[in-house]
Amino acid sequence: MNISRRALIAAAVCAVLPLSACGSGDDGGPADASGKIEGDITFQTWNLRANFKPYFEGVIADFEKKYPGTHVKWIDQPAEGYADKISADAAGGTLPDVVNVSPDLVAPLAKAGLALDLDKAAGTYRKEYLEGAWASHQVPGLSGTYAFPWYLNTGPLFYNKTLFRQAGLDPEQPPKTYDDLFTDALELADRSDGKVATLANVPTIEDFGRYGVPLMNEDGTAFRFNDAKGVELLTRYKELYDAKALDPQALTATPESSGKKFLTGAVAMNPGSALDLGNFKKQAPSLYDNIGITEQITSTGHVNMYVMGVMVNARSKRTPAAVAFAHHVTDAERQMSFAKQVAIFPSTAGSLDDPYFTEEDGTDETRVRIAAAKSLKNAVNYTPVLFSEQMKTALRNEVAKALQGRQSPEEALDNAVKECDTLLRQQG
Amino acid sequence: MTAPTAPSRIRRQLPSSPWLFAAPGLLVAGAFVLWPFLSTLADSFTDRRTLIPGRFVGLANFREMLDDDMFWIGLRNSALYVLGVVPALVVLPLLLALLVQKNIPGITFFRSAFYTPVVASIVVVGLIWVWLLDERGLVNSLLETVGVGRVGFLSDQWLLLLSAMTVTVWKGLGYYMIIYLAALSGVPRELHEAAAVDGAGAVRRFLTVTVPAVRSTMVLVGALSSVAAFKVFSEVYLMAGPSGGPAGEDTTLVMLVQRTGTGLTGRVGYASALSVVVFVVTVALMLLVLRADRKEERV
Repeated sequence: MNISRRALIAAAVCAVLPLSACGSGDDGGPADASGKIEGDITFQTWNLRANFKPYFEGVIADFEKKYPGTHVKWIDQPAEGYADKISADAAGGTLPDVVNVSPDLVAPLAKAGLALDLDKAAGTYRKEYLEGAWASHQVPGLSGTYAFPWYLNTGPLFYNKTLFRQAGLDPEQPPKTYDDLFTDALELADRSDGKVATLANVPTIEDFGRYGVPLMNEDGTAFRFNDAKGVELLTRYKELYDAKALDPQALTATPESSGKKFLTGAVAMNPGSALDLGNFKKQAPSLYDNIGITEQITSTGHVNMYVMGVMVNARSKRTPAAVAFAHHVTDAERQMSFAKQVAIFPSTAGSLDDPYFTEEDGTDETRVRIAAAKSLKNAVNYTPVLFSEQMKTALRNEVAKALQGRQSPEEALDNAVKECDTLLRQQG
Repeated sequence: MTAPTAPSRIRRQLPSSPWLFAAPGLLVAGAFVLWPFLSTLADSFTDRRTLIPGRFVGLANFREMLDDDMFWIGLRNSALYVLGVVPALVVLPLLLALLVQKNIPGITFFRSAFYTPVVASIVVVGLIWVWLLDERGLVNSLLETVGVGRVGFLSDQWLLLLSAMTVTVWKGLGYYMIIYLAALSGVPRELHEAAAVDGAGAVRRFLTVTVPAVRSTMVLVGALSSVAAFKVFSEVYLMAGPSGGPAGEDTTLVMLVQRTGTGLTGRVGYASALSVVVFVVTVALMLLVLRADRKEERV
């Protein structure tokens, strides 16, 4: 009988069609935070449950107590593939109300109209944060600010004093400028017959920034790191690579693999954070006894700063509660108490003047914390918010070709800029 | 005219009843296989991005591929992977199966040992091999001890690809060994005995009795392993890193699909077009292997 066949086809279509509707339509709530703070909201973080569960449960409990009638569901995602998880949620229309993001994740979400403009919806809170931190979630080409600044981080450069000593270098005088770094690195490689490299990573966009290379034009519409200074930096790195002062596996290294190389004494210097000190103490006690701590190397006088933010989903049905909670998580009191649990720094105005960030107590941890807090006051987030993962790969591949001698540094940077510009245009 | 009886009603409904039984499976396959496939095919003709719905761009993505160096690098590496891995995975598991076929004391241990890499997580396997082949890993330490010096298994473009192929073969041996064991159990013992009586040695018996008897299984293994090899991702990703080796030179086609199409700024349209190419090539590979098999059968 034909009816049953038609019924089957109709059933199949009914089963499949809803899938095609995923992510379509704008069924969000109010675009401002002026309504009553109530209702259920979801809050997504990035690999924080394992170490900070009690802290976040306390933050949520405080909020629910302050605003009766609210309920916050906390979702914590693994760091691995976090961007992919957000993009799946964003495309599927299931983005949580409040999301932990970094500026490069905010940019595409803001362009797609999924991040709430806080200048409009919550501009009154702006003065509570450091000016630079508030600006870190602004996107070139769009007006507005798309996430509350949360914690900031910078990091010292660790070095292995034993390796410095063995190479005849003064372990108490680590390099401060790029010139010093290149000289010491070549010396270290020469003295160890190429067995000890100083660095384990190829230069990234932050390195170009710290070297004083302009990264983008003022409008944020084109990249510019292929200028003479950029070529100079890459040429110096090529010298390091040829002399084995840059680890041979640097072309395929990740931050994790280079960290491991530093831990095993295969490389002499590695960037890190105060968190790493605990790892060194536990996993490599002999390294810990000889660890040297110095500031990031920079030619601009401004170290690199990483910014974390908390975004509100522009399509949230509970915008007032979502904005209030995002502010609650990032306010001065909560940021300060979070900073005391982990080696991060608050982005709220005046918090860095707290004695916790200014007074020495003789320990290495405090020394690193105070040095980092001091450098944060004029630190710069060198990573352009529009610099996507695909662009990072493009730059990395062209740099690798230059280091291998397959193309000149000029050609490499011209190609990288060309590819990044194409990707930028395709972003829309 | 009399009203139809109950049995005749049942008879009239019978032709559609198989569809009812198949319906749950068809619905699942439709929703999770057919629909994504059709959706990918449709996306391949658009400039869709992760968060931005695409516009129809015709064959623009496919034309762009022709000028995309990374596409050709990916295609080359995936093809090399098939050429490097498939012969090894057709022959070596057969030899291994012959070794563990005999029921001698303790053979179960060896069968299990050879099968262990199959059930081990590819991430764990990848990490172990990275540790082994690292510039300061076990293999390089041994090579240095015997005076060969350190070899850049993970820093040289070609050695890296070869290392990943080794891992694929090592991990796949046990799986295909089991398939061959099943096939070998069906080879009549009398054929071996007759060949032995005629004076055939072990090698001759292998070539004239065993190989023809398991030929269809070898074709199956060839087809399965060539499709898997062309779609390789994990081994190369774990050993070469997310950028696909030095300067991305070890990128395979599936790695390129992942890199291009994922993340908040992913080019879903272009990645879909790349996926369509992967699909077409894998279907072509299957047809090629099966056609070669039929031709040989006719001969």
